This record gives sequence, C-alpha cells and structure tokens, in this order.
Amino acid sequence: MNATNYVKTAWLTLGLVLAFVIGWEMYWRGQGLPLSYNDDESMWASKRREIYGSTPAKPVVIGSSRIKFGLDLSTWAHTTGEKPVQLSMDGTSPRPMLTDLGNDPAFAGTLIIDVTEMLFFTPDGSFPEKEAIKRVTAYPNWSLSQQAGFYMNRALESSLLFLDDRNLALNPLLNLLPLPARPGAWGGPQFPREFYVVNRDRQSAMTPAFVADTALQNKVKAVWLDVGAHSPPNPVDGPALTAILDATKRSIDQIRARGGQVLFVRTPSTGIMREVEKKMYPRAKYWDRLLAHTQTQGIYFEDYTSLNQFVCPEWSHLTPQDAILFTEALIPIIAEKTGWPIGPKLSDNRPNPSTFRL
Amino acid sequence: MVFNSFTFIVFFAVILLLHNLPFSWKTKKVNLLLGSYLFYALWNPPFILLLWLSTVVDYYMARLIAVEQRQLRRKLLLTVSLVLNLGMLSYFKYGGFLLENFTALLSALGISFQAAKPDIILPVGISFYTFVTLSYTLDVYRRKFEPEPSFLNFALFVTFFPHLVAGPIVRPEDLMPQFHSPRRATAQQMSWGLFLLSLGLFMKVTVADGLLADTADLIFSLPFPVQMLDAWTGVLAFSSQIFCDFAGYSTCAIGVSLCLGFVLPDNFRYPYASIGFQDFWRRWHITLSTWLRDYLYIPLGGNRHGAFRTYINLMITMLLGGLWHGASWTFVVWGALHGLFLCVERIIRQTAGRRRTAAATQLAEGIVINQASLAPPVTSGSAFGQFMLAMLTLFFVNITWVFFRAPTFNGAMLLLLSMFGVIPNGGTMLTTTAIITVLTVTVVLIGCHWLLRNSSLSELSKRLPWWVMSLGWAVMLILVILTQKSSGSFIYFQF
Repeated sequence: MNATNYVKTAWLTLGLVLAFVIGWEMYWRGQGLPLSYNDDESMWASKRREIYGSTPAKPVVIGSSRIKFGLDLSTWAHTTGEKPVQLSMDGTSPRPMLTDLGNDPAFAGTLIIDVTEMLFFTPDGSFPEKEAIKRVTAYPNWSLSQQAGFYMNRALESSLLFLDDRNLALNPLLNLLPLPARPGAWGGPQFPREFYVVNRDRQSAMTPAFVADTALQNKVKAVWLDVGAHSPPNPVDGPALTAILDATKRSIDQIRARGGQVLFVRTPSTGIMREVEKKMYPRAKYWDRLLAHTQTQGIYFEDYTSLNQFVCPEWSHLTPQDAILFTEALIPIIAEKTGWPIGPKLSDNRPNPSTFRL
Repeated sequence: MVFNSFTFIVFFAVILLLHNLPFSWKTKKVNLLLGSYLFYALWNPPFILLLWLSTVVDYYMARLIAVEQRQLRRKLLLTVSLVLNLGMLSYFKYGGFLLENFTALLSALGISFQAAKPDIILPVGISFYTFVTLSYTLDVYRRKFEPEPSFLNFALFVTFFPHLVAGPIVRPEDLMPQFHSPRRATAQQMSWGLFLLSLGLFMKVTVADGLLADTADLIFSLPFPVQMLDAWTGVLAFSSQIFCDFAGYSTCAIGVSLCLGFVLPDNFRYPYASIGFQDFWRRWHITLSTWLRDYLYIPLGGNRHGAFRTYINLMITMLLGGLWHGASWTFVVWGALHGLFLCVERIIRQTAGRRRTAAATQLAEGIVINQASLAPPVTSGSAFGQFMLAMLTLFFVNITWVFFRAPTFNGAMLLLLSMFGVIPNGGTMLTTTAIITVLTVTVVLIGCHWLLRNSSLSELSKRLPWWVMSLGWAVMLILVILTQKSSGSFIYFQF
C-alpha cells in the first residue's frame, strides 16, 4: 500500500461499511420484518445449561418445532411461576436429546417430550437424528470464548434486525436468486421469511403478517408437501422401531432412576398433514406402543376437547394466539394426569397474544 | 478464542490499547503473554498446563544443552525434550489411533483383545506449538544460535497468540529477535494489518464457511454414490474451502501481528497456481513444509545419498507429514500420494533434463528431426502450457483432497468412483445455486492465484488507486457482516 493513501483507504472503507450497515438495517425495518433471534448452537447450549434446576413447574422440553410454536412460555410462567427450558429443535428428532439427558447423571428433573411421529421415529443415521446429535455433541465443547461471544451477539441481535441469519444472511439471500431448479436436486425446505420469529427463550411464533396472509400459509403448505415428497416413503418398522422404543425406554428409565419425571405430549396438527400422519403413523402402532413400551404417561391432543379445537394455518403449527389457549388448556391436563404440582389455576388476566416478547 | 468471533474483537481491542499505552517494553510483553494465555485458556483452561510444561522444559533444556560440552549428555538432554514434546503429542493425538490399530493387529492374529475406548480430547494447537518448541531446542542443539536468555521472550515466542493454535509455525529466528526491542505498528502497518485481518476473515467466514462448507460437508458425508457433477463440485468445494479456511487463518494471524508491530512469515503463496508438486509444497503451508524439510528430510539424508535414498526420504517425510495432520490412515494415504507425486515429478524432471542434454548434443552434431503436427505444440514454457501444467497439478491435488477429507476409505473410494463416472447412476444432490457458487469461487480463486503467482497482494495494492482498494476492502467486510454464520472453529485446529 502506498504510504500516502492508507489513512484515506481505511477511513473510506469504514465509511462505506457503516453506510451499508445503516442502510441495510433501515431497509429491513422499512419492510416491516420483525426482529428474530438466531436459534443456533450457542442459544441451545445456553438453555441446555439451565436444565439442572428443572421442576414440574419448570420442565425441560424436548421435541421438534411444534412444541416450540405450541407451548407459550409466558403463559406457562404466568400459571406456574417459572418458564420451561425449551430445548426442542426444528426439524429434528428429540431422541438424541433424550439420550443426552438420560446419560447426564446430574439431570433428575422433569421432562416433557413432544412427539411428532415422522421426526421422533426416524431411523438412526437419518438427517433429523444427525442434526440433533450435532447440537448435543457440541454442548460439552461450548467454550468460554463461545459463551462470551454468545452474550455479545445477543446484545446486538436484540437491537439489529438484519442479524437474522435464518432470513437475511448471505446464503438465504443467495437462495432467492431466480436460478432454474436442477432436476432431481432438492435444497431443503425454503420457508417465506414471514413464517416465524424466535424469541430469546427459543419459542417460535408466526408473524402477524403470516397469520393474516393465506397466500403465505399456502407457500408453507407447499413446502410440507415438498418435504413429504423427499422423505422416505415407508415409516420405520420392525426391529428398527423396536430398537427406537428400547433406546427411549432406556433413557427414560435412567432419568426416573435418579428421581426424574417424564411425560409425552402430542401437539396438534391439522389438514392434509394430519391425514398423512394418521395413515403413515397409526396411533396404535406408534403412540400407544411408545407409551406402553416405556411405561410413560402421554397427552394426545385429540383426546381432549380443549386441545383439539385448533386449526393450524399451515397444517403443522399453532398460531401465537392459539399457543396461549393451548398452553392454558394443557397445564391443568398435565396436573390432572401426572399430579405434578404446577401452580394455581389460570387467572383471567392472561397475557395478551400480541405481547409475544422477544 | 477464534479470530471470527465477537470475543476476539473485544480481546484484540484491549490488547491493542494496552500495547499502545506508554508502558515499558517489558510490561507490554507481559501483557502480550498474559493475553496469549487468556486467548488459549478460553478454549479449555486445563490445557494451558501442557503449554506451560512444554515452555518451561524446553527453555531449561535448551540452556542446559548450550552449556553442556559432553556430546552424550547433550544428546540425553535433547532426548528429554523430544520425549516430552513428542510424547505429549503422541498421547493426545495418536493415543486412540495407536490403540485402535493395536487391537486390530491382535484381532488379525486371532487374539481377542478389547480395550476401553480412550476418552482423549485433543488440546487445540498442540501440533503447532510442539513443532515451534522442537525447532528451538533442535536449533540450539545444532548450535545454530545461543539459547534465549529471557524466559519472558521465550514464553512469548511459544505462546504469542496470533500463531499459537494454527500457525504459521514460526522459527526462533523469525520471531524471537523481534521481542528484543520495543515494537509498535506504524500507521501503515496498522492499516495493512487490519486489511489482512479483514481479508482473512472474508476468506474464512464468507468463502470457506458461508459459500463452500455446506456443499463439501454434504457430498463428503453421503454413504452412496453421486453424479459426476456433484462429486467434482463437492471436491472443488472442499479444495477451495480448506485453502480459504487455513490461509484465512494465517492471513488473520499475520495481520493481527502486524497491527502489534510484529512480522510473521508467509504461510501460503497462491498454491493453486503451482506448477508441479515441488512448487505446490513451496506455496502450501510453507512453514510446515520447510519445517519438515529442515528437521526431517535433510537429517534423513535428503538427496545426498543417491536417487533411491532420496525417494525413500521423500516418502518418509510426506507420510509423516500426512500423519501430522491427523491420526487416521486416510491422512497417511494423503501424505503417501503427495510423496508419490513428488517422486514421479522428480523422475520426470530428471528424465527430461537428460533428454534435453541429449537433444542438445544431437543438435550440435547436426541431426535435426522434423515432426509434422496439426496443432501448435503446447510447450511447458508458454504461458498457456504453464497454465495447463498448473491445472494438471491442481487436478492431482484435488484427488489427494478426497482422502484428506473423506471420513473413511470407503467414502473416499465411492467419491473417486463417482468423480470418474465409474458409478453412472449416482444421486443428484446439489442445487443449481450450490453448483454455480462453488464453480464461481473455484474459478475466481484459480484466477487470483494465477495472476498473483509471481507477485504479491502487497505489490498489487500498490498498483491500485486507493479508492479501488478501499472499495474492495469494504465489499469484503460487508460480505463478512452479511454472512453472519461461521463455524466456531478452523479446520486446522483439529490438527
């Protein structure tokens, strides 16, 4: 670099970068996109660290995306006094997390396991299982440096909208390029960015724009059909299913042996998704067998009128408003079914659905 | 702590501030040393004990070796240092591998032996700082220089955070003298250092992690064959990824050092424009290849004992170089292939040299053979011929990367068979976006390497108008900010 130009070079660079950052942030704010936290390894690890104070009032929740949408943590806290520890992970099987908790000698708390059959009953080595394993195995290596970085990042994320890596990072933007699809290749589900946001407790919520727009909802329905077309046509069965049940029982027994408690929950799905699930994963063969094999109680949404009154706009997840109602209805059912002391009955001044807090 | 983290930004800002406050030079060095320990400890604090052990033992062994006149005693002291350093490296890096192979050997002999799987965590950077301290002790033993009298200088040489965990593998003569007198970056050094840091982050965060990692990870993780296009795209993705990841780290390290007023040696010199494997190893991970040359190849005899021994020495050096990268037979095969290519290249060069001599003799005798040809001959001397040779080299380099990256031999073979169309009906895995991204990065990378192969970025920057330089710098930083997502680790940390 010439000795005469370095100061100008550095200052112009700084100016250009700052101008871009300010402009980029203002652009997305102008688009009305809500703020969302990155639900990454560090965020998961920060929650994983909280499991040791788990009680029936503050259960650990593992599962897939449905319970992240369907369990409203503020509503739960309003009733029980404490927020659950949300460890569920989108598009994955909770079994690796169950194994992890079973193997953790210090975990003797309360565990709620959300069952989305097509993800829970995936064979070993499948994508939903491997993705969950990545999170679980990364946790012990969550270094002090990563922890410090996570809290700094969180401070920035809570102010800057463009730091939404699911929607506004380079790769999601590249995926929007109008390039012809390659026959036979599938790049995974591509959701509209209005679909949902994630808050700092790892709860997901559909955006108001998504709830109001059937065209967006139809896009997600199309994504589910696409996912279905690229999923294995036959559900796991035979010895592989037995192996899954055995492994699940083993982990639950480990937790129970330490004084912990476990409950299965089947959250709502509707429409074509529900029909496909019924056909591929008949309740008697999967859910009922799971409860019987593991000697564990479970709450199936269709067994309770108060849980079976919801319509999922895109067949698979509850709206924020319905999540509150679902959670309000779920708590007394859990208390009745398990006898867990999870707080007083709901008061009437329940939180407003529009106050989904980031 | 990694360079691509918010933690590092804060850490570096504090270090820079302390380094530029009016403290004594000794205080500044203490600051740098404590900062370096903090930089390392934020991964896994207990492993700092190994670093201390290695530092203390090598400091005192070198001093004892230097004053000792009896050869046997000197050898004994050197052995203590070697056993400690290589022992730690062997235990942490190769313990599991050795046990696994021992079990397999016994099993092959019909002896049933089941050992408990060792739960050994590899301390970050152990391969790098072990080589740094070894070079110091070996050089003192060879009386190349006197041992460093200051423990502070020696400890800082070993621990200096920019190079500590993934190189460049500095030699004592490269860095230690720089600690003898006060150093502070000039405005020009600071500016260039920050530019290099930005470039390194761009290579790592945007290119390696953002644009390439997913494609490489997907293709190398598949247990079934893929189409030829997918296979090649996956391998090219890894080829560019590992360069941008590792050279990105080195560039960050050099930039960070420069901001503090220290100069670290180059570690990469546009290796994907190499013409031949000899050239490749002069351009790829230069500080490792020169280390292996000086402390392994030459002590083995180098090329001083005839052709056969030269080839044997080359193979031993490259096999151990492969094993340095990881405790797996796939790394050994990677090293063996590089050794083999180096040997073949040496044979070709020697044969060509003999032919040229013979041709010159024939020409001198007046015998001229005219050969008819439809196309102009592609000679290795023309620019096009040189480029084609570089591409041929890169082709073979990419073949070796398959073994380097594949988790198993089966995986490597499956991918190789897919690359050469031996398995015709493989899966279609990559999207148009992924393929175009990888191919664009590959072409741009090769283009940059080819254009700069006989030059340098520094020289290029001098030729550019300042605002063009600034624009390029800003684009890199903006893309880093846009990419957001970056793995917490560099590929070479695992080595």
